[in-house]
Amino acid sequence: MNISFLLNGETTHVTVTDPTRTVLDWLREDRRLTGTKEGCNEGDCGACTVMITDEGGSRALNACLLFLPQIHGKALRTVEGIAAPDGQLHPLQQAMIDEHASQCGFCTPGFVVSLAAAHLNGRHDHDDILAGNLCRCTGYAPIIRAARAAQSAPAPDWLLKDRPHAPAFGFAEISSGVRGQTAPAVLPETTDDLARAYLDTPDATLVAGATDLGLWVTKDLRDLGPLIFTNRCKDLCQITEKKGEITIGAGVTIAALRAAMEGPHPAFASLLRRFASEQIRQAATIGGNIANGSPIGDGPPALIALGARLTLRRGADRRQMPLEDFFLDYRKQDRRPGEFVESVTIPATAPGLACYKLSKRFDQDISAVCGAINLTVERDRITAARIAFGGMAGTPKRARALEAALTGALWSEAAITAALPALADDFTPMDDLRASADYRMAGARAMLHRYWLERSGATVSVLEVRA
Amino acid sequence: MAKDEIQRTYRLIGTRPDRPDGLDKVTGRARYGADVSAPGMLHGAVLRSPHAHARILRIDASKALALPGVKAVVTRADFPTGLTGEDWNLQENTIAGEVALYDGHAVAAVAATSRLIAQDALRLIAVDYEILPHVTDVDAAMRPDAPAIRPGAADHSVPEGLHPNVVKYIDFGHGDLEAGFAAADLVREQSYTTEATHQGYIEPHACLGQLGADGKGEMWVCTQGHWYIRRMAAAVLGIEAAQLRVTPSEIGGGFGGKTTIFIEPLALALSRKAGGRPVKMVMSRAEVFRATGPTASAAMKVRIGMKKDGTLTAGQAEFRMQGGAFPGAPVSSALYCAFASYAIPAVAHVGYDVLTNRPKCAAYRAPGSPMAAFAVESLIDEMCRELGLDPLEVRLKNAVREGTKSSYGPTYGPIGLVQSLQAAQAHPNLSVPLGPNQGRGVAAGFWFNHGGETSVSLAIGEDGTVTVSVGTPDIGGSRASIALMTAETLGIAYENVRVNVVETGALGVNEPTHGSRATFASGKAAVIAARHAIAEMCRRAAAAWGIDPEAVDWQDGAAVPAGPNAGKFPPMPIAEIAARMGSTGGPISGHHEVTAGGVGASFGVHVVDVEVDPETGRTTVLRYLVVQDAGRAIHPAYVEGQYQGGAAQGIGWALNEEYIHDAEGRLLNPVFLDYRVPVASDLPMIDTVIVEVPNPGHPYGVRGVGETGITPPLPALANAIAAATGARLRSLPMSPPKVLAAIRAQRGG
Repeated sequence: MNISFLLNGETTHVTVTDPTRTVLDWLREDRRLTGTKEGCNEGDCGACTVMITDEGGSRALNACLLFLPQIHGKALRTVEGIAAPDGQLHPLQQAMIDEHASQCGFCTPGFVVSLAAAHLNGRHDHDDILAGNLCRCTGYAPIIRAARAAQSAPAPDWLLKDRPHAPAFGFAEISSGVRGQTAPAVLPETTDDLARAYLDTPDATLVAGATDLGLWVTKDLRDLGPLIFTNRCKDLCQITEKKGEITIGAGVTIAALRAAMEGPHPAFASLLRRFASEQIRQAATIGGNIANGSPIGDGPPALIALGARLTLRRGADRRQMPLEDFFLDYRKQDRRPGEFVESVTIPATAPGLACYKLSKRFDQDISAVCGAINLTVERDRITAARIAFGGMAGTPKRARALEAALTGALWSEAAITAALPALADDFTPMDDLRASADYRMAGARAMLHRYWLERSGATVSVLEVRA
Repeated sequence: MAKDEIQRTYRLIGTRPDRPDGLDKVTGRARYGADVSAPGMLHGAVLRSPHAHARILRIDASKALALPGVKAVVTRADFPTGLTGEDWNLQENTIAGEVALYDGHAVAAVAATSRLIAQDALRLIAVDYEILPHVTDVDAAMRPDAPAIRPGAADHSVPEGLHPNVVKYIDFGHGDLEAGFAAADLVREQSYTTEATHQGYIEPHACLGQLGADGKGEMWVCTQGHWYIRRMAAAVLGIEAAQLRVTPSEIGGGFGGKTTIFIEPLALALSRKAGGRPVKMVMSRAEVFRATGPTASAAMKVRIGMKKDGTLTAGQAEFRMQGGAFPGAPVSSALYCAFASYAIPAVAHVGYDVLTNRPKCAAYRAPGSPMAAFAVESLIDEMCRELGLDPLEVRLKNAVREGTKSSYGPTYGPIGLVQSLQAAQAHPNLSVPLGPNQGRGVAAGFWFNHGGETSVSLAIGEDGTVTVSVGTPDIGGSRASIALMTAETLGIAYENVRVNVVETGALGVNEPTHGSRATFASGKAAVIAARHAIAEMCRRAAAAWGIDPEAVDWQDGAAVPAGPNAGKFPPMPIAEIAARMGSTGGPISGHHEVTAGGVGASFGVHVVDVEVDPETGRTTVLRYLVVQDAGRAIHPAYVEGQYQGGAAQGIGWALNEEYIHDAEGRLLNPVFLDYRVPVASDLPMIDTVIVEVPNPGHPYGVRGVGETGITPPLPALANAIAAATGARLRSLPMSPPKVLAAIRAQRGG
């Protein structure tokens, strides 16, 4: 497979022999661009952060969780390309020096790239931007001071050249590769091509954001067999609204979904703010999050509480089902060979939705419990209830007994408290290294209590405390 | 000539210039352990035990060796026998002998032409294990039914009748303990535990090693101390230290964890077996967690007597620590630190170093002191609450000062604990009002600091600029501070000094950058080396002027006549002396070799405000203050960096970091995601105050600043959480589930 991309502003052609070779290994071992560091090789530390630019803009991604074919047709910037070709520093690099923001300096390249991408996008929410970059030396204060010092400086013109309208970006020919392609990896350009390719090769592995799948390769050393990359299917990355419903394509990233949910479902958007870290959210897709079937994915509980309908596609055939029905058992989904998640559809409004995430820390953590509660209250009575939890069972799961206990009940603290024992009929959570069963159950109950407080206008903050 | 007394004002010391390696670090040019490759290089990988304790019955590597691209496999059989003492421990930890002693213990290693081939080859090595009973908890390891991990490992200090897993016993104290407790109005005894934590440096261990059949070798490695690597690797491999040339890379954090060997002898052994081809080895993150040197875990019992006015009358501590399957838990230093901040008439200490089936612990920033502080500073806080006393006032009342005989023996010189407590009291953070579910905690901390073996060389260049060669790898800006001190001494510009960390062949033996010693010891040696160079430059000027060398002074980077009687000569600047040195006697240099004494003890005081969510048990750190005595802050930005970094690591240790083992003794969380070092949103912008009580043992008053900062956060956070919730946590980490359970228990269920 031949791919082309811009590497630090220069057109680069690569013949990919192993489509699961990570961008990190390629940079460090093949190109000897060793500024990009390997700190964990599993997307947790951000030392390998690179900047990718395409039609969707510029974003920071973990190079350890990117397979080479995923950057085809895009612009890749490493720390070596953040300064100008003549050596002139990016204002942020100068600020990092001025503020003494490096001690050992090993994490510094990742911070430089994360902050340069944020700077380009005019983002100043530094805690959020940096949740996926670990520094063990500084306590972060000098790094954040450097980011603040540089935030008003204009974006350097050499980085703006990566924007897709720039002449250097348009490659003459991008080999899409489905038809007549014998390579074990294909990069379809449309969902129709994707559907056809997957039907032809149902044992292929679909690669979307690769934030989980990447670990199958780098940690488990698995051979994934034939690969189909979904990221070039633009029509799979659409969010459309009609007749009071929003349909989200499976290829929409968590970052894009978060932005799109700010208006219609702000509670969902604020939950997605706590989904892993910036780099992961920029790569991971909602389709991957659903199809993966993890009991602790942060997408499904809110979608289920919203009453989401899943659209599965196999060749030209489509079928729909309530999202909760897709999850059959632990890591077992209702998906046939050659069938893939195409989209998920949710109502455009749900004023009763609230989402809660309980984990040991605010950012970059796996949920002990992720709860989504969507109650309809009419004339002081609960007329409809959709409640779903992650982390409480082997799949993301509706709390049907609790829903039944609440439906028809008075909208009162006493009624909610009285309904809570029903949770024990819905769930028998487990002990693991993240939380005990008791803590999970206590957390789930507390979420209902918080929901009451929040919706009844309590003056205390019921969200996680922030400094 | 240069003066020995501590000056009051300086030209450069106390300024904040850019560090010399700043540009390299922000552009990705700085070269770390894994960034270098060599022609013909092979890639190494390590097969590790999946069992916490297992006898190795058989290793069959024939299939691995048959895999195309595999060039060598080594097992313990490739290493010399007959080692004793710590050398044997190091060899045994490098690669298991008859028994794998912990989950992750190296069993075999492979070198191949690519990393993937090496990893594939590991899966082709067949190992037959006989699984043995294991133990990972310190108290469980002392019980009679615990498996004996290494019978006979105990030293002569251990009294009879203890379990063979107890390998060292320590017992010391002074004063009349009974009288001390009798004089108290309140005596309290409590037990505390801390779990093992990891230094969490972001750079995994990495090296590139080459060793020929002639016993000559080279190594590029990320380490805090390359002479340690040389000595230890040579001992483990049975080669001569001088034949091994070790060059340190830039180092991506160490915090004590990179002061010993892990993969380095394996890379060299593989190279030797592969005909001398260089072998690169890089650990994965899981290997770093499973198989390097985390901290000890501790179980501690403390008893303290206090008068109604807060006066401490007696203290008693019993610490039990496990440091893995080898002796070396920092139980002595923990006990020495336990009561080191206070003048107490009677103290008694007992300690046990216990073997378990865990990796061999390494140093981690003030080894032992954070655990000790967690126990002692928590109990003092509990007693202050019970007596209604202000915790800072009680600490001031009992604080050690110059002339106090310490709890562990020596009498303190000038120290800054009292000044630090006063500075904390005066800080604006102390007057911020607290809201519901919020609490404030304070704690003090201590570290000895260290001098150690040091060798520095300094050379005057042809243009009068100066190169300083040091042997202490720069982790947190020591090249900048050493350059500042050298430039200050020579009277030249900071930019005219370049400090290089050089390889083992270029200097006398240096201890690692550990014990908060680099700026203190290498800095002190650089200043003395600069003075030697100044003396020589004064002699050159004297010869040129035809006067006695004693009649020449050094001022502002130039030789000058010492006074009117010396004669009237214009100043002779360093550049002029340097330009002519070839014809005036040859190159000018200075050097200094010493086991550096004159260390100044270090004290710090932390104040933290937290908010605790009563329904989830999650703690948010609202604001954090570090006050610490630096002696003299050479480059204040890097002093503050050490204060903030120590506090950040301590906050992580206090709130979330821990080693979690399953029932089989396997580490469950060898990933950053589940280990949880603090991210940006976990920490406030940490405030710092630098107190300066100059250390007379250093020409500019420096005392080490690297380690003390990790000590107070553990108890300070426990004290703040107690203030916020009324619930006292005596077991770390204070993760949300544990805090919630404590809140519920305190409310009566």
